Amino acid sequence: MTVRIEFDSSWQEELLTRIENDGPWGNWELYKLAVAVETHTTIPDFEGLQAPKHLSGLTPLPHQLEVSKQVVESMNGKAILADEVGLGKTIEAGLILKEYMIRGLVKKVLILVPASLVTQWAIELNTKFFIPAVTQRKSYVWEQCDVVVSSIDTAKRNPHRDIIYKQDYDLIIIDEAHKLKNNKTKNYEFVQNLKKKFCLLLTATPIQNRISEIFNLVSLLKPGHLGNESAFYQKYNKDSRNLNDHEHLKELVNKVMIRNRRADTGIEWTKRKVETIPIEFNKEERDLYDAVSSLHREGDWLSSSQFSIMTLRREACSSREAVYFTLKNMLEKQEEPSKSFQDHIQALIAKVEAVQQNSKAEKALELIQQINDKVIIFTEYRATQMYLQWFLKQYGITSVPFRGGFKRGKKDWMRELFQKNAQVLIATEAGGEGINLQFCNHIINFDLPWNPMRLEQRIGRIHRLGQEKDVMIYNFATKDTVEEHILKLLYEKIHLFEKVIGDLDDILTKLDFGNVEDHLIDIFGKSASEGEMRIKMENLTAMIQFAEEIREGEKNAATGNS
Amino acid sequence: MQQQEIHNFLEKYFNANGCEIIQNGQGYLTVQLTIELDKELMNRPFYWHYLEKTGGVPNPMQLTLITNPQLASDQLKGETIHFGSPRLHQIFESTKNLAGSIRLYEKHNKPQGQQTPLRPWLGMNIRISYECDRKRDVFKSIGLQLINGQMVEGFHDKLLNLPLTPKIPDYSFTLSPLIMPKSGISRVENFLRYEIEQEDHSWADDARNRWQKDLKLLEHFYEEADEKDESYEIEKIALKEQYEPKVKISIVNGGLFYLTDQAV
Repeated sequence: MTVRIEFDSSWQEELLTRIENDGPWGNWELYKLAVAVETHTTIPDFEGLQAPKHLSGLTPLPHQLEVSKQVVESMNGKAILADEVGLGKTIEAGLILKEYMIRGLVKKVLILVPASLVTQWAIELNTKFFIPAVTQRKSYVWEQCDVVVSSIDTAKRNPHRDIIYKQDYDLIIIDEAHKLKNNKTKNYEFVQNLKKKFCLLLTATPIQNRISEIFNLVSLLKPGHLGNESAFYQKYNKDSRNLNDHEHLKELVNKVMIRNRRADTGIEWTKRKVETIPIEFNKEERDLYDAVSSLHREGDWLSSSQFSIMTLRREACSSREAVYFTLKNMLEKQEEPSKSFQDHIQALIAKVEAVQQNSKAEKALELIQQINDKVIIFTEYRATQMYLQWFLKQYGITSVPFRGGFKRGKKDWMRELFQKNAQVLIATEAGGEGINLQFCNHIINFDLPWNPMRLEQRIGRIHRLGQEKDVMIYNFATKDTVEEHILKLLYEKIHLFEKVIGDLDDILTKLDFGNVEDHLIDIFGKSASEGEMRIKMENLTAMIQFAEEIREGEKNAATGNS
Repeated sequence: MQQQEIHNFLEKYFNANGCEIIQNGQGYLTVQLTIELDKELMNRPFYWHYLEKTGGVPNPMQLTLITNPQLASDQLKGETIHFGSPRLHQIFESTKNLAGSIRLYEKHNKPQGQQTPLRPWLGMNIRISYECDRKRDVFKSIGLQLINGQMVEGFHDKLLNLPLTPKIPDYSFTLSPLIMPKSGISRVENFLRYEIEQEDHSWADDARNRWQKDLKLLEHFYEEADEKDESYEIEKIALKEQYEPKVKISIVNGGLFYLTDQAV
């Protein structure tokens, strides 16, 4: 079959006009230079990567080059990049984008990322890849700039949505694409209706999803690749979680998805050193903790769920401010609080007021002074965050707060302040996602989240590619409290802290038993005795260890899991 | 392109554009831009617009380009230039813009007193891009003699060996073309089309196969929908843009060259 040939006639018009007007004619030296440039920028082969030659100061890792090559040469520019966290998916996407731009196959690009990463993406593309990416701040940017980075939440809303649909994009990149797992959401619909000539979906956690989520993600990229909806669900159980059960399906998915594991890359990672720091309550703190703990044995004055009692106990391990805040809220929520309710709360508040010193904060101060370097403190509670900032200031230690709720600009600013001006960054849980802080290598877990994945994310902020030092993790655990139980009976038993990121994700998938946090609330809330609690914790631990063993077995049975 | 090549290239570029090179040091270059080049490179239309409106004294900028940071002093302020840098590519583009069409005469050293005829040639430097979801390029330089229709390849390389000048040399006269430049261009176009059609296009067949395969998947995905929605149509267009094989012929630059009989 013959092929369509297009001949550009614009030059002809230029030449003929100049002949008619007897000039102006170009300069011979420049003319020769233009030809020299042309021969330098001509790419004679379909295969091979050009991008690395154009990137001074960036040395991509072998697996990153391999991914880029594979996407361009065997996946036709449509792929799910699903490397484990920290292997540099952004670099891979940047390499692919650069390659297409150099070859002139891509000009107009839309990059949709979480709001907190918008600036970072733009900076990386500009500084590492020399791609003039612009963050979307004004409506006209969509039309006037070729490479635009935006959050999906902005993009899907009008007037942006309509403008975006009118643009002729050559490449669309979506970071954190696992958020598009539900095909009934507005975000999904928005992306589905974008024209995707080339498309990269970036996600770190595709495998743990239900099969239906994988179907949705792949169908977004390449509709029909996994068949249509009804045929697919006839074949596979919607709620099935394990892709590995279906060899054929796995093979199909792997045609559009690349997943590198840390172990496959052969990269030397810096070590993680974990230290548990036991904290001894002072008398007043102990009183407060005990008072809160005994609530659920004290009859029905408190209609609140197990959940708020558990929250109070955990808060008592963090700071009196956190407890006070919750108590105040409990009181305010009641429209007409009974006398008994008010009395109880007041009694607890009195206990709060009796606490004059925070043992954990004292310990943190000591540690920070001793480390004498940048430190990130994670806490679950905003009240604790504010208290710590005040407390450290009393001792001349500069700190900046960080919260998930901060606007994009503020997050960037706080990160910058921390890097340049402050010794400590105090982050609440939501702040754990979407920011890279690898210039710091000390983390204090002031209190522990009950979801091990969140712990992973905390550590993942600093233990990633680019971290040059060993990472130090200090876990604060108050003796004889729920906190110590979680740490000693669960996290340490399953060697949570020594695990490399990504492993846990796989293990928890194997379990298929729901949310770890729910189990913990159940164990601590409903156990009648210390003994019962311990047994239940041991069961939970055993299950996780079991899943881990299965996984190890599978790994050995089928090497080269791809 | 190596760093030294880039340095030489920049030097030639600024010289050719009449810019004074203020410093040409180890690993760097400082140039005084002309008004034209300031407008071409510095992207400040408002300044120039303002100046033209108010009739102020133009003050084109100086530009320092660092071609080798290891050799240049640390204190030196300037833009680092390497093969991938946007500035270099802007300059690349500008060389093409500034010298798209040319007219030159061979500066022969035939004995004086005798009128020497110069034959008209149409010279075209051409990029041929083979494009589907991937792309490759071929560079060709073609010369067409506008009297007898003789066509040669590698024309630019031949020109590089000749002394050329923008003014017609003394004791020379140009022969009138029998083939008008416009039809000359058509001849070159037809020649290229014919040549390309003879080539092996298995790459295009492969691309069409990939396209058909994805199209089938797409049909299957929507086969149960009574009314195919918008996303189906969008996806279909996207597949066409992704895979459809085509060959694009574009002209880098070219022009008229008046050469002696012995030149080619």
